[in-house]
Amino acid sequence: MSTTLVWSSISVYVVIAIIIAYLSRSGDQKSMAGYFLGERKLNGFVSALSYSATTYSAFMLVGLAGLTYNGGVGGFGFEIIYFMGVSLVAIFGPRFWLVGKKYGYVTPSEMLGDRYQSKWVAIVTAISSCLFLIPYSAVQLTGIGYLLAGVTDGAISFTTGVVIATVLAIVFSYIAGIRSVAWTDSLQSLLMITTSTLVVIVIIVHLGGIDGFFDAIEAKDPQALAVPGNGFFNFWTFLGLTIPWFFFSISNPQVSQRLFMPASLKSMRHMLLGFLVFGFIYTIVSVVWGFSASVLFPDLENADLATPTLLSSEVVPPVLGVIVMVGIMAAAISTIDSILLTLSSLFSRDVYRNVTDQADDSKQLMVGKLVIPVIAVLAFLFAKLELDLIAVLSVAASSGLIVVVPAIIGSFFWKRGTAPGAISSVVLSSLLVIWIESTDGLLLGLKSGIWGLLTATLLFIVVSLVTEAPKQKAEEFTQYVRQNMRSSRS
Amino acid sequence: MNQKEKIWGLVILIIVFLGYFIPYAFLRDVTKWYGSFLIWSILAIIVIIANYYLAKNWGEEE
Repeated sequence: MSTTLVWSSISVYVVIAIIIAYLSRSGDQKSMAGYFLGERKLNGFVSALSYSATTYSAFMLVGLAGLTYNGGVGGFGFEIIYFMGVSLVAIFGPRFWLVGKKYGYVTPSEMLGDRYQSKWVAIVTAISSCLFLIPYSAVQLTGIGYLLAGVTDGAISFTTGVVIATVLAIVFSYIAGIRSVAWTDSLQSLLMITTSTLVVIVIIVHLGGIDGFFDAIEAKDPQALAVPGNGFFNFWTFLGLTIPWFFFSISNPQVSQRLFMPASLKSMRHMLLGFLVFGFIYTIVSVVWGFSASVLFPDLENADLATPTLLSSEVVPPVLGVIVMVGIMAAAISTIDSILLTLSSLFSRDVYRNVTDQADDSKQLMVGKLVIPVIAVLAFLFAKLELDLIAVLSVAASSGLIVVVPAIIGSFFWKRGTAPGAISSVVLSSLLVIWIESTDGLLLGLKSGIWGLLTATLLFIVVSLVTEAPKQKAEEFTQYVRQNMRSSRS
Repeated sequence: MNQKEKIWGLVILIIVFLGYFIPYAFLRDVTKWYGSFLIWSILAIIVIIANYYLAKNWGEEE
């Protein structure tokens, strides 16, 4: 793919995205809820596209394609189990939304801190999220680095790609907070779903239609259509990879924070269903890309190069290839800027506000904005390490985030849950996950995410049972949710 | 949880279980598109339908 074509397309994308981000500058920019939640007024259409763009990032079209390239249809199953986990939004989404509106929560950690009546719950869960989300942001940056280097045959270096992405993520986050992010997300979601589907059609036609596509896979490696296939997806690996991702929609704060944003429950319904349809198409597209690359280019050294190789090949027309490339880049950036905003809100709202006595809303916002570039630089430095496969690293980050799941579930469904239970489950399980990830990623044959969830659940229950629960708050909180759930749904 | 959440939540839980069980227990030797690829696609569509019913009446009185 010509380097000039790539640079020109990136320039066009940057100009259009900046214009859209500026156009989105309306309403309150000076409060935490205005800047980080869009005043809780996002409509269903923007919410759905923005939720999709935040969730589906470089991971899908680069990482999942790479995973399918390496392990066959197991990659599809892995993503479908994640997809099924989005159903948690159908259970927790309205509950988050209701309590967010009533108590004015800006972050999921703030909600936990208030529900368990302990600022330390908020501080600990916020720090834990920051710790694990920085590598996840780095994964997105790495994806862009590989992508640009791959499609231009190294003419644009890995580092240049990562620098461009870091700068753009900071710019979009700054322009209008979550509004600019949501609108640029929407632009890129529409671009992505259209162009990547077109690429699939082009590839399948090239391989002789749907029959030809599957025949080619069977001829090359029939095991790719079954699990465990070539052994990459043995059952325990599959389980270890899927468990953390199943809980992604409530464990990842940049995603669960979005449950506070829709203007109404009707908007949230559109967000959920729009996302599911979008996600299903996108999953199939990514998997078809991975399979196609394995048929057309079976000897790649690095599976994460499957997508760049496919896009720069003769099969895909250059103009279409470059549009998709820009779309993937935009997808990754939209995920990073959402994470930047969430992490900065976690830091300012849950850490800074709780350790200082006089942090009013405007001060919190100022600190949040100051923290954005700091987090971006940390992610940049992490990306420069060029660690491991994108998909595997993403899962490692999710394994760390899963430890907050028992405390979240408990906040809505278990009045007996306590602050010491939540804190011990998050702290000790996070340490365990870090220890497992820093050794060989397995303990007694099981991946860190499974251990993280098991120990967090056990600790949360046992420690809660031997400590005093905040009875009044628990009663008020759960009662409010119960009553309103009854009145808002039949 | 209300009655509807319990019923559809259970349906989704069963689907998730089948998402692990069927491909690894029954379809290991089916190296065709109508093996794991098809079953995961069908299960995903059932999940979309279950979510549709779960969210169907959200915010109706607003």
